[in-house]
Amino acid sequence: MQFAKFLFSRLLTYVLVVWISITIVFFVPRFVPGSPVEAVLGRLMSQGTTMDPKLVQSMRETLTQMFGLEGTLWEQYSSFLNRVLLTWDFGPSLANYPTPVSVLIARALPWSLGLMLTALAISWTLGNLIGLLAGYHNKSMTSKAIETAAMVMYPIPYYILALLLVILFAYIWPIFPFVFQVSGVPGSWPWIQSVAYNSFLPLMSIVIVSMGWWIISMKAMAIDTKEEDFVQYARYRGVEDNKVMVGYVARTAILPQITVLALSIGGVFGGSLITEILFGYPGVGTLIYRAILGSDYNLILGTVSLSIIAVATATLVLDIVYPFIDPRIRYK
Amino acid sequence: MKTKQWYLAVTLIVAMLLSACAAPQAPAADSSGGTSAAATGGMTFVDTPRNETLILDNLGGSLERPENFNMYTPGVEMGRGFHELCTDHLWEIDTVTGEQFPSLAAEMPKALNNDYTSFEIKLREGIFWDDGVEFTSDDVIYTLQMWMDTDAIAIHGWAVDYLKDFKATDKYTVVIDTTRSQPRFAKDFGVTIWGNRFYPVPKHIWENEDPTNFEFYPPVCLGQYKFSKTDPNGNWTLWQLRDDWQKTSVGQVAEKAGPKYVLWNFVGTEEKRILAMINNDIDILQDITPESMQVLTQRSDVVRAWHAGFPYADFDDPCERGIAFNNSESPYDQWQVRWALALATDIKNVSLGTFAGMLRVSPLGVPPVAAVQNVYHKPLVDRLKAMTLPDGYAPFDTNYALDMAKIFQEQGVGGELPTTDAELIDLFGVGWWKYDVDEAAKLLESVGFTRNADGKWLLPDGQPWSIAINAPSDFEVQSGRLAFAVADSWSKFGIDATVNSMTANSFWTASATGQYEAGSYWPGCAIGADIYPNLSFWHQKFIVPTGEPAPGNQHRHKSDEIAKILDELEKVTSDDPQNVELSKDLLMQMALEMDWIPMFGTSKFVPVNETYFTNYPTADNYYEGPWWWWSNFKYIAAQIQPKQ
Repeated sequence: MQFAKFLFSRLLTYVLVVWISITIVFFVPRFVPGSPVEAVLGRLMSQGTTMDPKLVQSMRETLTQMFGLEGTLWEQYSSFLNRVLLTWDFGPSLANYPTPVSVLIARALPWSLGLMLTALAISWTLGNLIGLLAGYHNKSMTSKAIETAAMVMYPIPYYILALLLVILFAYIWPIFPFVFQVSGVPGSWPWIQSVAYNSFLPLMSIVIVSMGWWIISMKAMAIDTKEEDFVQYARYRGVEDNKVMVGYVARTAILPQITVLALSIGGVFGGSLITEILFGYPGVGTLIYRAILGSDYNLILGTVSLSIIAVATATLVLDIVYPFIDPRIRYK
Repeated sequence: MKTKQWYLAVTLIVAMLLSACAAPQAPAADSSGGTSAAATGGMTFVDTPRNETLILDNLGGSLERPENFNMYTPGVEMGRGFHELCTDHLWEIDTVTGEQFPSLAAEMPKALNNDYTSFEIKLREGIFWDDGVEFTSDDVIYTLQMWMDTDAIAIHGWAVDYLKDFKATDKYTVVIDTTRSQPRFAKDFGVTIWGNRFYPVPKHIWENEDPTNFEFYPPVCLGQYKFSKTDPNGNWTLWQLRDDWQKTSVGQVAEKAGPKYVLWNFVGTEEKRILAMINNDIDILQDITPESMQVLTQRSDVVRAWHAGFPYADFDDPCERGIAFNNSESPYDQWQVRWALALATDIKNVSLGTFAGMLRVSPLGVPPVAAVQNVYHKPLVDRLKAMTLPDGYAPFDTNYALDMAKIFQEQGVGGELPTTDAELIDLFGVGWWKYDVDEAAKLLESVGFTRNADGKWLLPDGQPWSIAINAPSDFEVQSGRLAFAVADSWSKFGIDATVNSMTANSFWTASATGQYEAGSYWPGCAIGADIYPNLSFWHQKFIVPTGEPAPGNQHRHKSDEIAKILDELEKVTSDDPQNVELSKDLLMQMALEMDWIPMFGTSKFVPVNETYFTNYPTADNYYEGPWWWWSNFKYIAAQIQPKQ
């Protein structure tokens, strides 16, 4: 009964958070100066193409109608809610008309997920492993060296690191490509190799920086935990040192890291904006960036809603499953 | 496991990841100091021989939907070889002379009556789509009918307003009737700048499709190249020379073809584009900054710009830059204010601050490209010198070119400049308005402006005068920089001038709705003697209130005199001798009213890499302008040859 009440209140919060966030995302781009219709016309006129005023006016009217921008904001909002709630259809991308938003997201999402989940898995696993070792053996010189390295890595903006990697490994020692250029038949071994090869620098730019944070945070928690009474007691009982580290310290210190991991998994649906732009990586981050630049209302809504729902869902799932991971937590 | 073993295991995992990912196709440095396809067996990353593949920078960036080749959908990206090599137009533009010539058409259109409402178009015989079907009048008629029948394509409204009737009289002849007199029919259906809205489509493919959402993938081409493949991630598109290239307009007109493959490739940010060209991985760059040009010339001996030395850039881009106002809003609705701002502009410093002086100046509302400058700027110098403001002040200054040459002499680069006055004027322009802050102050004071104790200008109502100049933030570098240089000049004059750096959509929305004070825009475009099609939008009949998007006259300049000349120009044909004379009157009237402040032609740094290909158009080999992104690139490509 208590679980049912808890679940109901969490689901209600979840629905409210998603609805309010999507509503904000619907209205905000429309209040920003910049119209998708003028973006299309401006693109044509900036090329110097001869555009007789009658043609401009006629195109403006047709585009406004095609893009569904006729009527008041409330009319557009109610039509949008109907469409999205009933059919989960975000309509066509205005900058890529008539391609549906869903097609663009379906194409970009696997790339972002592939990059971000791999980066998260590597940085989380290695970062926690190294952090645990460094924290458990915090008096050693190696531990201090690791901490220093992590402190240096963590504050580097990842786009600076990305640029540095490009200059080092695509120009000075040119073993990686400048830009994402995958070749081969999708799914084939040469294609997989090509994806791995092309993704390596973007991946490293995220892994190196984010690993710094996992190392620092895990080290701090490991240091605290190893001084806890139950750990000391285990040592006095003669439990082997590595077993203490893994079975007692790691199991306890990892819990906050799992929380952050779950929230980070929700965040991967938004892609990694600057890394994707710098490397020409075809993920959701690039889509969001271009959608904002082009006032592509539908694409902004589609991509940002995806991120909102992913983060909200990750939080919901975490709330529900956490008591299974940490016995100290109970449903209330 | 001991601690050391843990560290070893972690190190091994990292090492394995590194070695696994850094496996295939790693290129090495070539003899010119860069990486090149030569190091990967002479092949490009799209598996074509590098020395047979011309690689262009894809300025439009990566595409979200690379499979869309429907030129009648708003979301299509034309500039990745599709517009330049695959599609074709009835009449193309010769960018040296500024004259149109028949491309798909066999000759220029023939007016069938004296009021220019009926035209006959003869098509070339022997032109084929790349799938082997002949291009005929059926394709032209089908395309026009599609315009008329499909209200969900953007061109529909214009077509219904313009076209009365059309029919094919035989396989190669089309007759088009218009709803009203159209003396410039060839300009409406042929290329003037960049391209034209009329792209014939293959009837045999389109007739069974819905033109509003048909993707036309793979595209079928009329140009001498055919589609080969495109990156599903939208970074590149490859085109291959047709075996039957002689059965195209380029084949018939130029009788040459061009490289076997042409690849449009998006490399990324400007730094990456420059590094790629130094590495010989790009043959043609579209548009870069002067600083990047300097890096290229220092780091590569196989890269050259339009001019082999200073000033490097091509000055003949057909749109000129300057500062435009919303002339319907106070205080910019007064000619005295606009003129005062022009005279308070230190144009030489603005030139140096914008593009290090590598700019050609223009006092008129059309760009100073060679073909236009010879028809308008130079012949109008005497009238410009004689022109006076109502207070009798003569504002024109002919010394700009010589003054700039002196500045460059002092900077030590004068040795690369021409030596005669005439050549310097060809390079830097005929002159501009005097930098005369006293006259500017006099004009402002005449309409009630005052200065405070700090020398700052106050509006007639006593409020401090501030100007915000809209400028492009992440595109059109020259206009972006120009705004800052002008703001600096006006600040020195005592105006609180600032710059609003804006993204493209905000920049253009402000322009259309008039919700701005001043902007670094480029409303003056032209490439030949017939400037009316590009300036007709200045007519006052297109003015709408601020806040509403304007169809034309975005700068909301009201003038009976300009409207009267435009009405007369509308009636004359392109080749009518009256056309040029009326156009001169128009330009002088625009200058007198200072409807906007034209400043410079556009300088384009469009470098080429001569490692694999040669015979690019350059200042020394001027068979075309370096406009790689225009539809007439197919004629340029025909001249570019692999290096022996």
